[in-house]
Amino acid sequence: MQNYQHIGHSAVRVDGKEKVTGAALYTDDLDFGPNLLYAEVVEGPHAHAMILSIDTSEAEKVHDVVAVVTGKDFPYNFGLYMKDRYIFAQDRVRFFGEQIAAVVARTPHAALKAAKLVKVNYKPLPKVLCPVEAIAEGAELLHPNLKNYQHVPWFFPQPDTNIAHHRKIRKGNVEKGFDDADFVLEDTYNVPRYSHCAIEYHAAVAKYDLSGRLTVWASSQSPHTQRNLFANALAPLGIKHNDVRVIAPHVGGGFGSKAGVTMEILAAAIATKVPGNPVKVLWNREREFYNTYQRLGVVAKLKIGVKNDGRITTLKHDLFWDAGAYVEYGANVVNAVGLSAIGPYKVDNASIDSYCIYTNLPPGGPYRGFGYSEFLFGLESHMNRIAKHLNMDPVEIRRRNAIKEGDLTAYGAHMNPNGLHKAIDAVEQKIQWNQPLISNDPNIAIGKGFSLFWKAPAMPPNAASSCFLKFNEDASINLLVSGMDIGQGFLTVMAQIAAEELSVPTSKIRTENPDTDRNPYEWQTVASHVTWGCGNAVRKAAIDAREQIIELVSRTKFLPKETLFLENERVKCTTDPSFELLLKDFIINGIQAEDGTFKGGPILGRGVFMPEYTSTNADPETSQGGHPNVHYTVGAAAAIVEVDKQTGKVRIRKIVEAIDAGKALNPSLVEGQIVGGVLQGISTVLYEEMKFDHRGKMLNPNFTDYKIPTALDVPDEIIPIIIEVPQPDGPYGARGVGEHPMIPIAPLIANAIDNALGIRITSMPITAEKICLTYLDSQKKSSI
Amino acid sequence: MAIPYEFQYFKPGTIAEVVALLATHGSKARVLAGGTDLVNELKMGYRVPDVLIDIKDLEQLSKIEICNGHLVVGALVTFRDLLESKLVKEHAYIVYEAAGLVASNGVRNRATMVGNICSAVACLDSGAPLLVHNAVLKLLSVNGERELPISKWFLDNRKTALAPNEMVTHISIPIPTMKYGSAYQKMMRYSGEDLSQANVGVLMFADGECRVAFGSVGPVPKRSPKIENHLLTQGLTAESINQAKEMIEQVIAPISDQRATKEYRMHMTKVMFERAIAAAAERLKQPRLITKH
Repeated sequence: MQNYQHIGHSAVRVDGKEKVTGAALYTDDLDFGPNLLYAEVVEGPHAHAMILSIDTSEAEKVHDVVAVVTGKDFPYNFGLYMKDRYIFAQDRVRFFGEQIAAVVARTPHAALKAAKLVKVNYKPLPKVLCPVEAIAEGAELLHPNLKNYQHVPWFFPQPDTNIAHHRKIRKGNVEKGFDDADFVLEDTYNVPRYSHCAIEYHAAVAKYDLSGRLTVWASSQSPHTQRNLFANALAPLGIKHNDVRVIAPHVGGGFGSKAGVTMEILAAAIATKVPGNPVKVLWNREREFYNTYQRLGVVAKLKIGVKNDGRITTLKHDLFWDAGAYVEYGANVVNAVGLSAIGPYKVDNASIDSYCIYTNLPPGGPYRGFGYSEFLFGLESHMNRIAKHLNMDPVEIRRRNAIKEGDLTAYGAHMNPNGLHKAIDAVEQKIQWNQPLISNDPNIAIGKGFSLFWKAPAMPPNAASSCFLKFNEDASINLLVSGMDIGQGFLTVMAQIAAEELSVPTSKIRTENPDTDRNPYEWQTVASHVTWGCGNAVRKAAIDAREQIIELVSRTKFLPKETLFLENERVKCTTDPSFELLLKDFIINGIQAEDGTFKGGPILGRGVFMPEYTSTNADPETSQGGHPNVHYTVGAAAAIVEVDKQTGKVRIRKIVEAIDAGKALNPSLVEGQIVGGVLQGISTVLYEEMKFDHRGKMLNPNFTDYKIPTALDVPDEIIPIIIEVPQPDGPYGARGVGEHPMIPIAPLIANAIDNALGIRITSMPITAEKICLTYLDSQKKSSI
Repeated sequence: MAIPYEFQYFKPGTIAEVVALLATHGSKARVLAGGTDLVNELKMGYRVPDVLIDIKDLEQLSKIEICNGHLVVGALVTFRDLLESKLVKEHAYIVYEAAGLVASNGVRNRATMVGNICSAVACLDSGAPLLVHNAVLKLLSVNGERELPISKWFLDNRKTALAPNEMVTHISIPIPTMKYGSAYQKMMRYSGEDLSQANVGVLMFADGECRVAFGSVGPVPKRSPKIENHLLTQGLTAESINQAKEMIEQVIAPISDQRATKEYRMHMTKVMFERAIAAAAERLKQPRLITKH
């Protein structure tokens, strides 16, 4: 084991002081001076309708109104993976609350008042609110123009249907697998939509100056991707990539909602109509729910065959995704699951059909877990039910099937090194799985659950990260990266990596959220890839800087390079203990030679990382042949719950979760991800639920009726366990852990409730009401 | 979020000025105390008044006092004040218990009990506790003061017996003259702050009288004389309580909405009734709190 000075230590967050003192500024905190304008959007009150006419005349008369814009002003489409989205609705609205127009005014008050005066005539169209109905014969088409949309080469839209993408896996012989099975279990699982619920609203301010420069300040997980999409969408206005500058202040929570582009494009586009004035678009809590990305809903039909010894012979997984009105990002969730819906198991015969289906509900998009929480709800419920049928321990059946390094994934690539079996053992031991649970209260049932998880980053095969590293006179460092610190501690870990390679304390490394003009390219802070990808780039930049330092010292001090090393902000020499050179004495101004001249100059490191082994070139009918995913992160979790038999209320006594981080660069931050992820998972399984009425209008876009846990609702105990089986291409062996901790929680709790009460609930959320009524029903049936 | 509506704002220094404004503006005026309901309604454009009368300067309304055998709660008394009052805990334990379950800390610091009954939303927490205590409301207008029993206050969801020119100045809770036990049960979707999907209040006395009120299972909270009489005549036995649970089906009329189905509300009301009876009976057995005042 290598002895690191910074890696593997729980360094204090580099942004901690800024945040706890309130020095940290978020987008809505920034001061843009008296010329700031405010935009308020006009929303469509139909889930599906043609727009016949828009009358803005009354709105324009309101005092302080500067401009009113509509879809006609911006006849452009855009999107991350498929260009199916519009800045403002064009000829039709496709979800309730979609933006039709915007009023720009000198005060928020005037903008709001005028927005209410914009008159829109609609002709309602039949709407489709359910993915299964949307693919039925004769269903209303949401995107008649689907066949003309540009998309990435790994999507397969089906023109003249509501299927925007269909990812298929065909591996081995599925039918033979069912013939060989001793037991086959088939069922359907329902997972509704969910909202990210970040505390900070989406906010964007854009300024299109009189020279044609477009600057956007946005609460963002994706500054460079936003720049790219803004520049592409607004190219008809003559805007080029280097005209667009995205500045990303601190972010008050993302969870996927601030990835890609949603409302930010409104600010960028509107600004072009009021040159010289910054324009602010600030979302509110209601819109956070119904007009940003939502987690996609899914109806998953799952059929698994097993031998009597528990080994899986075959798996068939059909997933019908409610992807919403626009799928430019959400279709890749469907794709990711299509590639991975065998779960962390060795499955020789597999068939997966993952359908991305348009519905007249808000656009689905990235949400922590990127589809894996959704399909694992069914899969990990199924594994428990199969174990129960075989009278086998739920841990044992998982151990027998758990994937190992070198086993083939669903698409035929080899599984990366991983600690799944170690995680199973660690969790089983820590939760004392074999210890009987006894309730002292006849009204309280106790149960335990177990679940595995896996997830790969879902990203283009050529998603890249990069880093610039600049030394300052005192040997302090500015580390320029474009990943976003969205609370996970990304910047801290990047500083640790540079500190490790350059032997400079993290306190002397300043690394901040980016400005795309100054900071080098990063694809997006999503997919749990940024510590892995950008970490590699930072390490390369630091090594680049170190090599320049060593080279300079070697040639000026006539010492062999291989004898020189960095320690404690100095260059030292293995063969001459008396030699030492302080970095600050030469890092900017160079080293003076005997003849009085200076050699060297400011040390600047650069690092770039892009995986060079990934490919999406595969047979679309089978998905065999490519290598779409860089690696999978795996883990296991167990829970002990108490259920009140009379009320259905669940109290979670303990959750143990182990994750294979490869290498925990900062263990305390990894533990933070585990605790936070476990809570988010609990919230989705026990409390949260988006409700829509028959018109497709969301009924509960507020925390009054969309419940996320408070301090009173957390488990008595959450025990994080870090497993470290190194990832060969990860920085120091690290792989992503950001999204994963929430992924196993829904089936975990479902399994524990079944263990406690003998009831199996196959639809989320598993509310107290659902538990109570299901249990009462089961008691009635058993008493007949 | 900006309030896009215009209204006149007054902050009078005397009650006389408040009732004078009410006399002038009537139903076009609304009284602002904690504002936790009212300000949200202003933002949403619901019941936007022409005139807003802020009573927060009327310090005399922020007291909790004993007066003629009554616990008197002023219109500016917040749920936080109720929670911190020894008088409330001693003389109206159920009010204390319910106050602790209203919304969240932040809301309890501002929201008032008088505001809660004036909003009179069907899911309010103050209804059942005040009903079992036979509380009396003090209403003031330019024509003088009148008293109204809480049982006559709630007319419908969000509708009360308050006249347009009146304000509620106090809630007056008769102090029990004998040993009592009380309990409040609230159905919530989780342990954090939530609007009640059903609630039950029970107040029982050493002489066997047992008062029961149900909230959030109909447009207004209400007592059940039938169940109360049953418990009084049959005593508190497992059998009589079970019979009372069955009677609940005839007493309440819960609806299904996005927060809960009527089936679950009905079931939970029975469970909560039984638990409230048990808790109140247990408290009746405890030695009584003694507070000097």
